[in-house]
Amino acid sequence: MRRNLTAYGFLCGALICFAFFSWYPIVREVLLSFQQTNFVGDATWVGLDNFRTVVEDPVFVDAWVNTAIFTVLALVIGYVVPFAIAIVLNELKHARGYLRFVVYLPVMLPPAVAVLLFKWFYDPGPGLFNQILGFFQLPGLSWLDSTDTALVSLVLVSTWMNLGSGTLIYLAALQTIPGELYEAAELDGAGLFRRIRHITIPQTKLILLVMLLLQVIATMQVFIEPFLLTGGGPEDATVTVAYLMYQYAFNFTNFGGGGALGFMLMLVLMVFSVIYLRVSREEAR
Amino acid sequence: MRSRILATLLTVALGATAAACGGDGSDGKDGAPLDAGTKVSITVGCMPAKSQEAQRKEWNEDVAAFQKLHPNITVEGKDAFPCIDPQTFQAKLAGGQMEDVFYVYFTDVKNIVAHGQAADITPYLGQVKQNANLDPTVAKVFEDRGKTYGLPRQNYTMGLFYNRTLFTKAGLDPDAPPKTWAEVRDAAKKISALGDGTVGYAELSAKNQGGWHFTTSLYSQGGSMVGPDGKKSAFDGPQGKAVLQNLKDMRWTDDSMGSKQLLVDADIQRMMASGKLGMYLGAPDNATALVDQFKGDYADYGMGPIPGGTGTLLGGDGYMFNPKASPEKIKAGLMWLDFYALTPGQGQLNYARAKTDGRPVGLPQPKLFGQNATGQKDRELRAASANLPVQNFKAYEDAYTSVPGKLEPPQAQQLYAILDSVVSAVLTRRDANIDQLLADARKKADTALARSGT
Amino acid sequence: MSETRTLVSPHTLGTRRGRTVYWTVFTTVFVTFTFVFVFPLYWMVTGAMKSPDELADIPPSVFPHSFDLSGFREAWRQLDLGKYMWNTTLYAFGAWLFTLGVDVTAAYALSKLRPLLGRAILGMMLATLMIPPMVILLPAYLTVKDLPLLHVNLLNTPWAIWLPAAANGFNIFLLKRFFDSIPTELLDAAEVDGASPARILWSIVLPVSRPILGVVSIFTVVNVWRDFVWPLLVLPDTDRKTISVAISSLAVQVPQNVLIGSLVIASVPTIVVFFVFQRHIMAGLTAGGLKG
Repeated sequence: MRRNLTAYGFLCGALICFAFFSWYPIVREVLLSFQQTNFVGDATWVGLDNFRTVVEDPVFVDAWVNTAIFTVLALVIGYVVPFAIAIVLNELKHARGYLRFVVYLPVMLPPAVAVLLFKWFYDPGPGLFNQILGFFQLPGLSWLDSTDTALVSLVLVSTWMNLGSGTLIYLAALQTIPGELYEAAELDGAGLFRRIRHITIPQTKLILLVMLLLQVIATMQVFIEPFLLTGGGPEDATVTVAYLMYQYAFNFTNFGGGGALGFMLMLVLMVFSVIYLRVSREEAR
Repeated sequence: MRSRILATLLTVALGATAAACGGDGSDGKDGAPLDAGTKVSITVGCMPAKSQEAQRKEWNEDVAAFQKLHPNITVEGKDAFPCIDPQTFQAKLAGGQMEDVFYVYFTDVKNIVAHGQAADITPYLGQVKQNANLDPTVAKVFEDRGKTYGLPRQNYTMGLFYNRTLFTKAGLDPDAPPKTWAEVRDAAKKISALGDGTVGYAELSAKNQGGWHFTTSLYSQGGSMVGPDGKKSAFDGPQGKAVLQNLKDMRWTDDSMGSKQLLVDADIQRMMASGKLGMYLGAPDNATALVDQFKGDYADYGMGPIPGGTGTLLGGDGYMFNPKASPEKIKAGLMWLDFYALTPGQGQLNYARAKTDGRPVGLPQPKLFGQNATGQKDRELRAASANLPVQNFKAYEDAYTSVPGKLEPPQAQQLYAILDSVVSAVLTRRDANIDQLLADARKKADTALARSGT
Repeated sequence: MSETRTLVSPHTLGTRRGRTVYWTVFTTVFVTFTFVFVFPLYWMVTGAMKSPDELADIPPSVFPHSFDLSGFREAWRQLDLGKYMWNTTLYAFGAWLFTLGVDVTAAYALSKLRPLLGRAILGMMLATLMIPPMVILLPAYLTVKDLPLLHVNLLNTPWAIWLPAAANGFNIFLLKRFFDSIPTELLDAAEVDGASPARILWSIVLPVSRPILGVVSIFTVVNVWRDFVWPLLVLPDTDRKTISVAISSLAVQVPQNVLIGSLVIASVPTIVVFFVFQRHIMAGLTAGGLKG
């Protein structure tokens, strides 16, 4: 009993912080999506009106499609590439410190800085990227200024600034693989790629799964890139769900609509979380 | 017994509610001037930032002078640079973080009123000496259903802003800016032919600014954003198509608009200041930003009336009052605005002092007053202290009264966001289908307008 | 250091062909990494030294024409970056203090005191990891604007950064897992000697937990420095903005070289932290990544 009291004494700070800033907002999100309020008078219950409003908005579908494409692209580039880099880095015996340092460097930049930096690089005139293309006699791209390339350009920034953490985490996982496994495989005559397939990947399966989920969760909420680079344009090609949510709340003063979008995003993420829990439980067995 | 207590409680509660709601009607408020013995402290937005040294100094002088005149009032300025950060303005508004006397663009006024985010100042207006002298078109911005919610600080109508040096280089007459859109197109072609990354004409297409400029161009062609009752959009007519077709021709047929798009106003100003841009639509005070922030030179810039000249967008900024502000604060705030913003020879309209401080004088902005003695005095004072090449803005000023200024549409920000996507499509996609884009935008806009109507 | 066996055997590497391949791969990786990760930063730093005219040059100059620091100076002066640096430092320091105070005690209670419902509480705290802050941005903002029950408005106060920073499930997870690994016998002995739980935490647990405390500290500080959308919303006053938010809204109003200068200045603190605490940061990443 006494122990419980002391324990809750120690816990109370965290309980208060979590209650106010994590748990309550989650509940409030649900309430918010069924309410309409202008913050001067009281909130009124509006049933499913908010959902109807956002679903009828033609940009709604675009936003989900864009978010999905962004997530998939970010997975293709941002998930496979760091793992490949980590495998290569793990083999290199020289300049290890330098390479690890350098790959993590962009992660340490404040995202706002990285994004604004790339905005300048993407300038189709004197911007760095088109100048590099020009140097190799290649035609310049429109980057952010075309519906075809805008979303990919956002993925590129996002990958550049987040690649490092994935790489280093994989690297650490790779170092836990016992060398004997490779030796045995080699004695069996397994070539390089078979060793990767049959030893490296299975041995790091858990971490790969965890990272997959974490990455989906991270990319589903992409906001700062469209916010600072494109403002959702051109032609709404870079409007993401999170960006649309912000727009509803703070540009159209429609908190109910924003809340409805947030609620939907939360539901989708919950589905991913459930899958994740299932998978990790199966792994543990 | 119990029910009686309940009844009493209810009555008290109702009474309190009624008193609180009484703010809506003018009957509950007193129109009497602020008692000189009442101590009031007000916070006021848009004090010049530290980096704007001369303006900051003048603001402080004005506050000191005002407080000397009214020892019971304390004015506490809140500085911000820029005064409105569109990224967070709505958040600040929704969060109730506004100053007692807060700064707004004309664009947002209607929405703020509709959401009950500003106080009704009608009962106190009698105390604002200059109120009657305001240009009615400008004063109307802050009126809604017979009530007034704010006062203007600056106003402008959009015109064609251009680079005189590039005009000369391209063999154009810098004293005769293009008058029609066909002439603009022609001039843009000549300017972009100078090469070296020079852009003939630039247009905004992001952060709601594309929609804002589309509206301006639409007005210049004689079009309207919404129908007469404000419930349906009307921008997809022949005028709207002409605006977009013109952009499309300049962007793709002539290639005179550069390749970088999704521009916002600061991008365009940066291009103009670095001498790489020929023309864009803007207000006279662009010259100040170009010189103060981007190190441009006044002599390079000139302004003509809006091409087409059938109409133009009337914009500006001003102050509104926090709905939670007490009547005393509102009265004090109005006295401050009267003193600082609306009296010729004082505050922001003290041209003689601005000249001594080395600040530019002579831009045809603001034009707050109508054709009356006050307006006359303001114009004379400004002319007397002018230190700019005012003749560069003569073409614009001469046409000021003949080009009708139109206000921004209802639900402005939402319509602008919708049109951003249309303008950016035309500027970034060679095969953009204008009719289709406008039809889609119309659908979205009608939904947005219908929703706000309920 | 003895090399552990990796994918490619030392024997293969020893052959002539192996060596050629190794050095080809190494050179490619080295050059590519330098180009992809370092060159953009070089471009940024030198960009701030070019004049707006030079920045518009096509093709651009690889070395700035002159070693001109006025871009940095103007950024510092015109945008008042010193003020925003100070603000951000203040927020980061407070967040650090709260995070340590709140999360360490909580993790200790959950790990060693094991109260009733402790597992449920831990579960609820970890569950928040699945709901990223962006998703509950609006309700969290409304909460800070008008705190339930207390009806306090935290907007424009450092509390709006400090308190939510402490509600971090990941820190709780890291700390609890570390505390779990401390042998109970050690603590039991102290308890028999009559030491209170607080005393045990302070004199036994904390001294041995230095590595994990370092990791949590660095991540807390760096996160405050990197955060964008939350401070954008809860600190709308120009005077209170964080450096990231300030440059994103102010820097567009200045010439290009000044803008780039402000980007450089804003990234200096985190880069310096990285230089100094490189080892801790990487250790922390691994600690976080290998959960499960």
